[in-house]
Amino acid sequence: MDRRVVITGCAAITPIGNTKAEMVRHLTQGISGVKAMRSDGLLTEQIHSGVFGTVDYPIDYAFNRHHRKTMGPVAYYACQVAKEALDGAGLEEAFVTSGRMGVAFGSTHGSPTVQREIYRTFFGQSEQKLRNIGAVDYLKSMVHTTAVNITKMFGITGRVISSSTACTTSSQSIGYGYEAVKFGLQDAMLCGGADEYDTTTVAVFDNLLACSTAFNATPHLTPRPFDVRRDGLVVGEGAGAVVLEEYERARRRGAVILGEVLGFACNNNGGDMILPNMNGIEQTLRLGLDSAQIGPDRVDLISAHATATKMGDVIEAQAIGKVYGTGPLVTGLKSYMGHTMGSCGVIETILALHMMHERFVAPTLHLDDVDERCAMIRHARQLTETAVQVAAIENFAFGGVNTSLIIRKPLE
Amino acid sequence: MTRDEICSRILAIFSEKFEIDNPGLDDDLREEHEFDSIDAIELLREIEVMLDSQLTQEEKKSAMTIRTINDIVAYVIDMAAVRA
Repeated sequence: MDRRVVITGCAAITPIGNTKAEMVRHLTQGISGVKAMRSDGLLTEQIHSGVFGTVDYPIDYAFNRHHRKTMGPVAYYACQVAKEALDGAGLEEAFVTSGRMGVAFGSTHGSPTVQREIYRTFFGQSEQKLRNIGAVDYLKSMVHTTAVNITKMFGITGRVISSSTACTTSSQSIGYGYEAVKFGLQDAMLCGGADEYDTTTVAVFDNLLACSTAFNATPHLTPRPFDVRRDGLVVGEGAGAVVLEEYERARRRGAVILGEVLGFACNNNGGDMILPNMNGIEQTLRLGLDSAQIGPDRVDLISAHATATKMGDVIEAQAIGKVYGTGPLVTGLKSYMGHTMGSCGVIETILALHMMHERFVAPTLHLDDVDERCAMIRHARQLTETAVQVAAIENFAFGGVNTSLIIRKPLE
Repeated sequence: MTRDEICSRILAIFSEKFEIDNPGLDDDLREEHEFDSIDAIELLREIEVMLDSQLTQEEKKSAMTIRTINDIVAYVIDMAAVRA
């Protein structure tokens, strides 16, 4: 039983805004959300990279204590975007709690802020170490904290999938949510990912020499995907959620359909955990098209993973070139906000939806001089007014995990 | 501390820590105010501060059947008496 799966709600918290208007303003005016990295009082003095994709605007959380008590910062992000996406979808409460709706939501590693507090207690001098570890610290910090704080807050009783595959966390959430609805296991899925401010992640990439360090005095000029002056990725924070719903159900209730998920693919490179792999990525892109049952000529826009690492961008560009040639426009949205880790896939999906609806493609920021090894594809280098019908969102993660999502604008 | 003083302290803890203001003294806290087992553990830590004494595991387990503010006040009086 293959069913059509549509998107009926979406919301994001990103370094370039929380509302569609703000995100579109940043994308159309070329405004970066990368800022100087704020101090954590622990690692930031030693990390070479001094930039971070920063959420620095107030968010009006209205969670009561019954919900707040099991939430770390990452769950605040997750529950807020879930709330906004559900509000936007307009699903009736009886359905949300019926068991026919599930949640696919994850983060890179739960709440590192809470985990750091536990370690502080563990390694501290207090004689009361056990008693100083809070009864709810695990619930706030665990890997699936985002998913189950969402189920608790909204009374969702269906399936729970909590992927935690670093940079492919939320693209997997959407993909596995899509498959749950497509194959009739659920009628709707709330899907996404979140990651809070965390310097541990920065330190890991910094030690791998993969972080941007040359633009610490001018954070808004990095990361620079595909550009010859790119010098690595910029870690960021954020969250995103989409409501996926079976098409006939959405149509019957008169829901506003924002887009349709046409296909999803996920594979593994089957080898090295860090190095980008041409064959693995190329295969993912082809499997994504197979899943959507379309040819590469049907895709108008590719949202590339494009983290601005030296080799990652080259391998990705070459893989896109092999599969898609010079047909679709290719943009690297991390150039606006850095790499929001577990949330990048869903945020990039939502930005692609916004660009479809507002009929433009945002260029890759700072792509002043294309690296000749990345030049075989059709880079979006200026703001382009165009009617995108089909977009592919590519994401790749440590561990050799690759995903490709194919989405379509609703037919008018 | 008198019973009234203990009751005032408990009500203050409920307001500050649990955002439950002026519950009825015989309200079922779980049913009427979503006060759950996680909250109970946190309340026991507050009671330890009040008593300036650690509760034993057995004493903590005996608190898990408590349902009302009046129950809590009686529990604190009992624990204080053991330590007098």
